[in-house]
Amino acid sequence: MRKKMNLPIMKLILCFFMLFTLSGCFGGREINDLEIVVGIGVDKDENTGNILLTAQIVREEENGNTEKNGGGENGAFWNVTSTGNSIFDAVRQITHKTGNRLFISHNQAVIYGEDIASEGLEKYIDFFLRAHEMRPTALILVAEDRASDVLETKPKTEKFPAANIEKLVESYVFTSQLYKVNMKDFASRLMSTTTAPVAPLVSVLQDNGNKDIYVSGLAVFNKGKMVGKLNQAEVRGLLWVLGKVKSGVIQVCSPNEQGSAVLEILEAESKVTPKLRDGKIVMHIKIKEESSLSEQTTTENLATDPAFEKMQKASEEIIRQEILAAFDKSKELNADIFGFGEMLHKKYSNEWKALKDNWDDLYPSVELKIDVEAKIIKTDLLKKPAWQSEGGK
Amino acid sequence: MFRYIYKKIRCSLLKNIKKRMHQDTLPGKNNSERIFPDLKRNLEVIKSILHNSSDLTIHEFNFGHDRRFKGAVIFINSMADKGEIDKNILQPLMYGTLMLKKDADMDFASIDSVRKNLIPITDSLKVTLLNDLLDNLLAGSTILLIDRSKEALVINSGQRRSRAIDEPATEVVVRGPREGFNENVNVSIALIRRKIKVPDLCVEKMIIGDKSKTDVYIVYIKSVANPKLIEEVSRRLNRIKIDAILESGYIEQFIEDSSYSIFPTVSNSEKPDKVAAKILEGRVAILVDGTPFVLIVPMLFIESFQSSEDYYSRPFHASIMRIVRFLSYIISILGPAIYVALTVFHQEMIPTQLLISIAEGRERVPFPAILEAFLMMFTFDILREAGVRLPKSVGQTIGIVGAIVLGQASVEAGLISPIMVIVVSATAIASFTVPAQTDSGTILRYIYLALAGLAGGFGVIMGLLVTLIHLASLRSFGVPYFWPVVPFDFSGLRDVFIRMPLRKLKKRPKAIVYGGFDSYNHNPG
Repeated sequence: MRKKMNLPIMKLILCFFMLFTLSGCFGGREINDLEIVVGIGVDKDENTGNILLTAQIVREEENGNTEKNGGGENGAFWNVTSTGNSIFDAVRQITHKTGNRLFISHNQAVIYGEDIASEGLEKYIDFFLRAHEMRPTALILVAEDRASDVLETKPKTEKFPAANIEKLVESYVFTSQLYKVNMKDFASRLMSTTTAPVAPLVSVLQDNGNKDIYVSGLAVFNKGKMVGKLNQAEVRGLLWVLGKVKSGVIQVCSPNEQGSAVLEILEAESKVTPKLRDGKIVMHIKIKEESSLSEQTTTENLATDPAFEKMQKASEEIIRQEILAAFDKSKELNADIFGFGEMLHKKYSNEWKALKDNWDDLYPSVELKIDVEAKIIKTDLLKKPAWQSEGGK
Repeated sequence: MFRYIYKKIRCSLLKNIKKRMHQDTLPGKNNSERIFPDLKRNLEVIKSILHNSSDLTIHEFNFGHDRRFKGAVIFINSMADKGEIDKNILQPLMYGTLMLKKDADMDFASIDSVRKNLIPITDSLKVTLLNDLLDNLLAGSTILLIDRSKEALVINSGQRRSRAIDEPATEVVVRGPREGFNENVNVSIALIRRKIKVPDLCVEKMIIGDKSKTDVYIVYIKSVANPKLIEEVSRRLNRIKIDAILESGYIEQFIEDSSYSIFPTVSNSEKPDKVAAKILEGRVAILVDGTPFVLIVPMLFIESFQSSEDYYSRPFHASIMRIVRFLSYIISILGPAIYVALTVFHQEMIPTQLLISIAEGRERVPFPAILEAFLMMFTFDILREAGVRLPKSVGQTIGIVGAIVLGQASVEAGLISPIMVIVVSATAIASFTVPAQTDSGTILRYIYLALAGLAGGFGVIMGLLVTLIHLASLRSFGVPYFWPVVPFDFSGLRDVFIRMPLRKLKKRPKAIVYGGFDSYNHNPG
């Protein structure tokens, strides 16, 4: 009798313990045993053609005693390199140098060397998308030369080059001449058959032995292979269409053409409507922009209706030119960086089936119809310039 | 699972009790005889029952106009007030009767006559049973025996020495009454009576403890308290079979609903205003002679987070402090557990910069995080216990030793990481914001820490679930312990996480109240 009554309780206790054992939750790792990776660089080993992986690891002991040895020769980070046939192979090879498995949950950025990017990223990105420790919000960048050089360059204000790069990329909101691309964005563009992935470019500027990291422009990929670069103005052209322009500077000629007026972009939105008529693809792009007069280099009073009118017209033209420049570049590279294909797919899902297969041939024939509506809404703290010429009165 | 174990244990306990009761009734300790009419014999019997105790005083005297009556006062030397016995018992009997012209019309052999004509004391009682006589004698009263009378007079002479009404040490308030209960239960009842002046306030007396014969009082408002609750309280009190009640904690452990729960289901307080407020809500207070701690039933979990000051200060500040208390309780039970779970299992959840700082701090620590946390928590508990036990003057030394030697030096020696010191000390401070749940919090903290070390966040969540299920299943005198969260009662939430203005708190708590539900009530809970 007693045994029978105990059975359900034993079952319950067993279930409780099975919860712990079967869920595989015994994977605890002490923080001391972690090699915290903040940045990863992927290059091609020049001699063997293998992958050369650079992992930037936080040096805890050095960090704690920075006051004692003044930062030290080695600094706060340690760049470990290893070679391997595959990324995962290289990652595991590193343990022979570090003694511990890499902990890549806090990886801020993956930087690919230009040689790797031109070869095609498909086979070098899979590990980073597949690994459960990797964050989809980690940034992806392309180094204009070698990724390991970028990771070697000590930043002046930040402790870690990788953290510094993240800060630099975040700063795109001030100019809108760069675009922040993380693993998830890159992968979703890569998965689409038509949209071309982009990734910001990072380079090391040498100036009297002073090395600085500099981010500018975007690398454009076609089917995973890097095919070209967008310069700063072209990047903003892309962002106008994507509606990602946050802020930035537009410089226009002042109405009497003696100097220039500098406008700060305050707000911008875009609307793209694809039109398919008689086999011709026309993209209607409507941009609405608001800006303020932030600086002027002439002495005339610009805060007048006719002057505003002229400046608005001029800035509309500049925006149009930027979009066209980006579009021309993309036609040249035959890379659909704007995602026009996906837009067509959404609107004309029936017709898309026919278009899909020869999108590469169709893309250069796409026509743009650009409508820009720019508006200057304020002049900041000054209405008239502090010193006015006689003619301006 | 727990209920089953509980039943088993209770069953075996009941068997034991029955056995003991059986034993108690066997020996013929039957003192329920009547008092003999013969004074000599009475005195002999009393002396022999008390084994000629050296502090038993028997003073025999003659009185009456011609000294033809014989009497005796009996008292325990150490307990009675001798001056009052001389002045108010012996003097009127011996001199007063002497001055009577004739005492023929007065029958001094009758206790009634003596009581009515000669003893100028209000607090006197006539007893006929030897047993009652002994009980009162041992409680400190003076017994007057008269030859040829079958009765004895119990005179409550002399004030019992008691502490002055003092500010309670456990429940200090910034705003609110500073008086506290005291060891003398009569003083405590007076303090409650002074707050609630209705004829409905009932005070029921009970004597519990075979040897201590402690006075226990049940205090409630008849029209407000649930009659079933009162019945249940007296039933449970009557069930207590114990030698002595030395503190109300004894009673608490005998009447609580689940003795095997770490959560208290009987609340206690030292403050009359708090107890009065709870009585006004329909609760029952149990006062025990010899301790300032008054028990109040039923208890709700949220009561632990309510302070009487919440109702004395304005609602905005009170609500913020309420939320602070809830958060502190969560920190106090989960602090080290979450730290261990995050640093050992879920490092990806810590912001990068913080992770690097933690890693730097832990670089020289030789122990795993769970052992480190356990060491620090254990050290804190040692310090706390030492601080409580030591005299006040030495207690300060403990604070210094604890702070400097164990806090700073252990970090510098690289035994403990600085962040662990912060986590454990924050936890320790937080645990003192909810005094009623400090005991349960200490136990839970260790349990959750063990679970976190074993299975990380998953383990902590499992532990929390079990705790919540347990809390939701608890009852205190028929009232769901987790009310108004489980069972959910929206109107009850007015006084849980925030304290609404008193105008909005017109109704008594639904879970406790019985009659007069709509009546106006704005009392601290």
